[in-house]
Amino acid sequence: MAEFDVEVVFTVALKAVKDAGEIIKEAFYKKKAVLTKSCAVDLVTETDQAVEKMLIGRIKENFPNHMFIGEESVAAGEKCDLTDEPTWIVDPVDGTMNFVHSFPHSCISLAVLYHKDIHIGIIYNPILDQMFTAKLGQGAFLNDKPIRASEETELGKSLVIAEFGTNRDLQKMESVLKNITALMNKVHGLRAMGSAALNMASVASGGADCYFEYGIHVWDIAAGTLIVREAGGVCIDTEGGPLDLMSRRMICASSEKLALQIIPLLTQLKLERD
Amino acid sequence: MTEFDVEEVFTVALKAVKDAGEIIKEAFYKKKAVLTKSCAVDLVTATDQAVEKMLIGRIKENFPNHMFIGEESVAAGEKCDLTDEPTWIVDPIDGTMNFVHSFPHSCISLAVLYHKDIHIGIIYNPILDQMFTAKLGQGAFLNDKPIQASEETELGKSLVIAEYGCGWDIQTMESVLKNITALMNKVHGLRAMGSAALNMASVASGGADCYFQYGSHVWDIAAGTLIVREAGGICIDTEGGPLDLMSRRMICASSEKLALQIIPLLTPLILERD
Repeated sequence: MAEFDVEVVFTVALKAVKDAGEIIKEAFYKKKAVLTKSCAVDLVTETDQAVEKMLIGRIKENFPNHMFIGEESVAAGEKCDLTDEPTWIVDPVDGTMNFVHSFPHSCISLAVLYHKDIHIGIIYNPILDQMFTAKLGQGAFLNDKPIRASEETELGKSLVIAEFGTNRDLQKMESVLKNITALMNKVHGLRAMGSAALNMASVASGGADCYFEYGIHVWDIAAGTLIVREAGGVCIDTEGGPLDLMSRRMICASSEKLALQIIPLLTQLKLERD
Repeated sequence: MTEFDVEEVFTVALKAVKDAGEIIKEAFYKKKAVLTKSCAVDLVTATDQAVEKMLIGRIKENFPNHMFIGEESVAAGEKCDLTDEPTWIVDPIDGTMNFVHSFPHSCISLAVLYHKDIHIGIIYNPILDQMFTAKLGQGAFLNDKPIQASEETELGKSLVIAEYGCGWDIQTMESVLKNITALMNKVHGLRAMGSAALNMASVASGGADCYFQYGSHVWDIAAGTLIVREAGGICIDTEGGPLDLMSRRMICASSEKLALQIIPLLTPLILERD
């Protein structure tokens, strides 16, 4: 088992994320060459690939025995096996659609797991300079200021983030519409911002009260899960049980009480595991 | 007819908006006392009222002959008559739901009209320090840097903002759902951020390609209309004709070509005029 010193790892991770942020900032307002992956709205750009490559290099340099799971590596055929070894889980650009449109709501999402527990979570929006961080047991922060989930428990007073996703198959789209229809006249408001990790950061910092999604991947939610929990919120399975990071679905909220009012309104989806 | 010197009016307007921004910033992360207006999700706070009062005072002080139309004044019974006189049209907090939740996407929207033309538009998000401005014929700016609408013309490549609105009546909800259903598998992506004025600012700055709204009021869209147009975009009626500021509906886009592809997909809603 490779050694794991959380402070040493965090220092390297933070610097790596800041440097990756510079790559994104540089490219943000320029024209992008865009490729599609699983369908016409599942996008990837060279910036996604450049950021992931840079992060892999930085990890290998400092921690040659650590493992890595990254969105673009998995897209290129790498496996998505989570072991007890220190494992970095990365989405180089979460909110690629927003990035392509220069809609300033994209981020790098980076988590480090050890014995399958999330020890470090970092979410960085370099355009708005928002650095969300958490270390297990040490609280959650935005630009070094502590953040807390709202303490909202009432469905009718909750601001809920419900995304449309990047999957166009009929079953998925029907499920999205059913969920929106079920929620829209029961909650305070619905929002859709286009970045899973930043949505989780919104719940962690109290701006939104709940965010759920079917179809996300482990790299979208690993960092956000720690940050929400360290901010006092919950992050669980969409049927109410413990979160399974590889299950392709997740609900996070300011309180368990709120999550348990939203869960019965949702139409469940089962997706192929990561 | 009262005199109208656009530079002089703009200078006063900009200072007033900056000062109003301080009131909002001060209150943003605190607990708010919230009242409801037309329904459970149509909110108003003491800050909305304080900002509007401050702006009215500032206008009377500098331009005692100018007219004023403000969201909270109209809610309190003032008329919404637009004449040829210099007229300030203000939403003291656009995105009050977001403000109540400390979800950092609210703004002051301020326009000045003369002979019913929009001569000045200012939209200010004081939390993210984003000042969008335009003067008729002089371009559009974000924090003094010129902005341009994206030049997107393809429906399938467009990022579209579609809000859920603040009405829980069946007619509004059905119209919202029909529009989302019609668009969701045809556009690049859908977003809902919760502030009409900031949505228009997104189109003006190129981040989003289209935003439409049924149910908007003149104070939500007056400033944004000028800013979008000065940025090279368009702002028209949801059936394709010229925009009627009092009609309670609007579509703005990066190009007319794009707007004309979205319009046939929309289910209209007819609402009582302002």
